[in-house]
Amino acid sequence: MTYVDKPAVPRVVKFDEPTATKRDKLDVMLNTGSDIYQGACKKRGSTLKDEYRKVSGVAYMDPKDMAKLGVNNWDSVLVTSDWGEVVVSAVHSRDAPHEGTIFIPKGPWANVVVSADTYCCCDPTYKGIMCTVERSDKEVLLMADLMRSVYKKYVDDDDDEGIEKLESLGEMPVYKKL
Amino acid sequence: MAYEEPITDYDHIVENCTCAFCGCNCDDLEFLVKDNHIVGVRHACRLGASKVMEDMDQRLMVPMIRGEDGELEEVDWDTALNKAAELIAGAVRPVFYGWSETSIETMKEGIALGEEVGAVLDNQATICHGPSLQAVQNAGYPVLTLGEAKNRADMIVYTGSNAMNSHPRHMARYSTFPRGYFRQRGRFDRTVVTMDPKYSDTAKMSDIWVGFEQNGDYEFYNAIRAVLKGKELKQDVISGIPKEDVYELVEAMKNTQFGVVFFGLGLTHTLSKQRNIDIAINMVQDLNKFTKWVLMPMRGHFNVNGFNIFMSYEMGFPFGVDFARGYPRYMMGETNTIDLLTRKECDVFMVIAADPGAHFPSGANKHLAEIPVIQIDIHWGPSTEIADVVLPGSFVGVEVGGTSYRMDGVPIFMKKAIDKPETCRDDEWIVRELKERVAKIKQAQVASK
Ligand code: SF4
Repeated sequence: MTYVDKPAVPRVVKFDEPTATKRDKLDVMLNTGSDIYQGACKKRGSTLKDEYRKVSGVAYMDPKDMAKLGVNNWDSVLVTSDWGEVVVSAVHSRDAPHEGTIFIPKGPWANVVVSADTYCCCDPTYKGIMCTVERSDKEVLLMADLMRSVYKKYVDDDDDEGIEKLESLGEMPVYKKL
Repeated sequence: MAYEEPITDYDHIVENCTCAFCGCNCDDLEFLVKDNHIVGVRHACRLGASKVMEDMDQRLMVPMIRGEDGELEEVDWDTALNKAAELIAGAVRPVFYGWSETSIETMKEGIALGEEVGAVLDNQATICHGPSLQAVQNAGYPVLTLGEAKNRADMIVYTGSNAMNSHPRHMARYSTFPRGYFRQRGRFDRTVVTMDPKYSDTAKMSDIWVGFEQNGDYEFYNAIRAVLKGKELKQDVISGIPKEDVYELVEAMKNTQFGVVFFGLGLTHTLSKQRNIDIAINMVQDLNKFTKWVLMPMRGHFNVNGFNIFMSYEMGFPFGVDFARGYPRYMMGETNTIDLLTRKECDVFMVIAADPGAHFPSGANKHLAEIPVIQIDIHWGPSTEIADVVLPGSFVGVEVGGTSYRMDGVPIFMKKAIDKPETCRDDEWIVRELKERVAKIKQAQVASK
């Protein structure tokens, strides 16, 4: 009994264009799901910290796709779908090659771009979402800042610029003590 | 990874504890306790250990209410509970979501509270294995217990599931590696197949990886069914898999003694949703014409199955139970959290032992930003950022005892190992208090009319 070798040519979505050309924007398919690092970090209750941003606010990409975009490990990329856009870090995937697909672990970052459509079946569509990836010079937000800028629950709704300028909520709980 | 010194500095060991993370509910854990804190965990996987040895920096210790300026402020228990009870009693369409990381005992109080105010009770199944439960209602449920898989299975199929990442000890404890009564040589007596578009960590550990195309699951299982029924495949490539491979795979599946299909969210989160599982169940039924095959969903949270089982026993429906008319009702796509939120129907949201901030699509969460949210949890998380009333609960399986159901429906009592922080309360106590306070407000309303 042996472990089957990983096939040299993976079965992935093929692009029409040649792989060599560098591009500003890639059309990719997004999958989300749980990942052991994200799970461990979430459940130990350190979601406010940088370590959560490092494991959940990332897009695992095929190295070839990263080359096409001209991004390195931990460079920021902007992921845009019909449902929203979010800045995450691009990271070499451990499961490559899978050109044309990216993986963002379950978490507040992935939530911004996944579809809330349940098609009357209670379950939103978390996998197989068409989106685009492009380089970005913005920083990946910490969890608390991300929640504030996406849901705007306690800040002025209309003032997007203002929210960006607000001071970061940081990596520790912020509340008024008795 | 760097070598870590074994932990020797502890007061005592608590043996046979149950892990409160994933649906495997490993019940062989040993907690090393020092000064009422857990400093080490034996036998747990990375996930289980991380949860038991939590990061106390972000532990919710005190009840909080969101003030005028949008900042959370510490308050005493009475004020927080009264505020929450007021919100719940005044709601027209309250939704109580979560429950999967708390005990059955708490759920019992939850049902009473839900009935009192005509709420919708829903759990995490709605965003993970909900479609599986529907499929089970459509097509049946060829069940097993995990012990059977361990003792009998000679072919294990993981489909749409990355067990190595989400249930790390599943392969080690129940399916692939352990030696069983009929499988004396453990791993060598079993064939492991992973069917997943992703070359996941589980696929790396398998004998066979079937990497069908994204969204190709429905077509692929149908092809297997067709071959099982003796039909010729007309296409050369099905969902990216050459037809010869499909024939070979079917032949292998037919020639096993006891096969198990473990399926995960890869099947429920793609576009064909519950139909994927319908077809997977039918495939298992077709396989049973040749040999014994069974199937099981890989449940995520340690008690997500418990809520479904408990609800089915008590109310007749597994999740998304609506008490608005005074009796339990359940309607797919109608009384489920995501739909209620995207339709902006819900007006007060209580989340207990769950984290919608981390798991709901933003389209649904946007409505939570417009309505009052009550949170009962142990950690500060994404949901706390959108919560208006925060009630710190306690950690089931470590700080309080309670019953939970493993992924195969076996109930396990999780025992208490250490004392909870003084300022926190049991989930069960919190929900009961809310119920009593809500009842009082309702009575006062009736009396004043
Ligand atoms: S496999 Fe699951 S239940 Fe077992 S120790 Fe790991 S997280 Fe806990």
